[in-house]
Amino acid sequence: MTFASLFRRTRPAYRSTARAPGPVERLAAIFQAVPAAPRLLLLPLAMVLVLAGIVHLVSVLAMPRLAQASAYQRLAALAPSNRLVLLPDAGEGVLPMTDPAFVSAVCRYDLRERPLKVRVPQTGDYTSISFYTNRGLAFYALNDQAAGRVIELDLLSPAQRAALPEDEEITAADRLVVESPSTTGIVLIRAFARYGDVRDAVRKQLEAASCTATQ
Amino acid sequence: MRLLTLATTLAAAAAIGLGATYFAVTHSRGMDIVRLGAWQGWPRSGTTQADPYAAAAFARTGELPLELADGLLFLADHDTAGAPLDGRCDIRILGALPQSRLWTLTLTDDKGALVPNAAERHGFTSAELVYEPDGSINVSLSPRARAGNWLPTGARGRLRVALRLYDAPFSFASGAQDEGQLPRIVTERCP
Repeated sequence: MTFASLFRRTRPAYRSTARAPGPVERLAAIFQAVPAAPRLLLLPLAMVLVLAGIVHLVSVLAMPRLAQASAYQRLAALAPSNRLVLLPDAGEGVLPMTDPAFVSAVCRYDLRERPLKVRVPQTGDYTSISFYTNRGLAFYALNDQAAGRVIELDLLSPAQRAALPEDEEITAADRLVVESPSTTGIVLIRAFARYGDVRDAVRKQLEAASCTATQ
Repeated sequence: MRLLTLATTLAAAAAIGLGATYFAVTHSRGMDIVRLGAWQGWPRSGTTQADPYAAAAFARTGELPLELADGLLFLADHDTAGAPLDGRCDIRILGALPQSRLWTLTLTDDKGALVPNAAERHGFTSAELVYEPDGSINVSLSPRARAGNWLPTGARGRLRVALRLYDAPFSFASGAQDEGQLPRIVTERCP
């Protein structure tokens, strides 16, 4: 198709739409019907709304970056990196909205230097491990039944994962390798206390969990 | 004069935009809301597909959302009829629960803090509860002691109930959400 034929074909179509009042013409008619004084206000009003929309979107997207009391920041005051810490019981409020029927332990990780090895012992009841980035994005979770008995896994940054030799991945079939999208983040280990009075026993069992930088 | 108009426009835009953001992060836990009777769930908030509103809300509160591979959280701050849950009333949670490895039911105030009480009873786990003969649950929320599965409300104004289903083979993919899947919440009597 030549350029000229394309031009010829579109021109009549353009004329026919100009006959019937389109949405633009109708809007213009409404605009004309508004008295002159409020018409002066319409443009600033539209501008305010568009700008407010932009401000809203930018501030929502920036929130995880700018937040002052995110989970990662709260836990930074509690524990050094790559060390597992048992959290006090829910209600004493380090993290909001935690299930009071669970005993939780956290480990703030930093993969800049070395990968992390996480080991969670069997507690005899539901036990799970969840991973979050430093901005609070949940990226991986596993429970005791899905993992077998003891949860044992390696957490690697994307660069460390890429550097992992191919054959090693195949031979270590029983080794779980998790890739973290960020270099820092949080490991949350939670064990279910079926009744209130087994809580201390579950707490003791969870103390055996570990989170260490590999050598 | 023109500069003044520009300044007013910018100030108004900033105020409206930030106001909308504040409202969103204090009232929402994400866009992917699933309503089952009185309960609300956000299945994608605990996954890598969490939307910006969920991420913003959790960043502000410091909450680590329950991962979907771990469990599923449902919240209720209204009864099935639509009235807000009032701690001065007698409230009952009745009905069958979906299949799961275990579940917990937790009573909090409207800000998510546990309701303090002498018995230190803040909820039930699937192991503690006394079930009805047909396997359904019947939990009573009341400021005064009740026979059976009773949770003290401490006569607090507004309440929120959190139901967490762990290791549940639950799917939202079909979009067919049956109101009978989660228990009903009934306000029986108010002083």
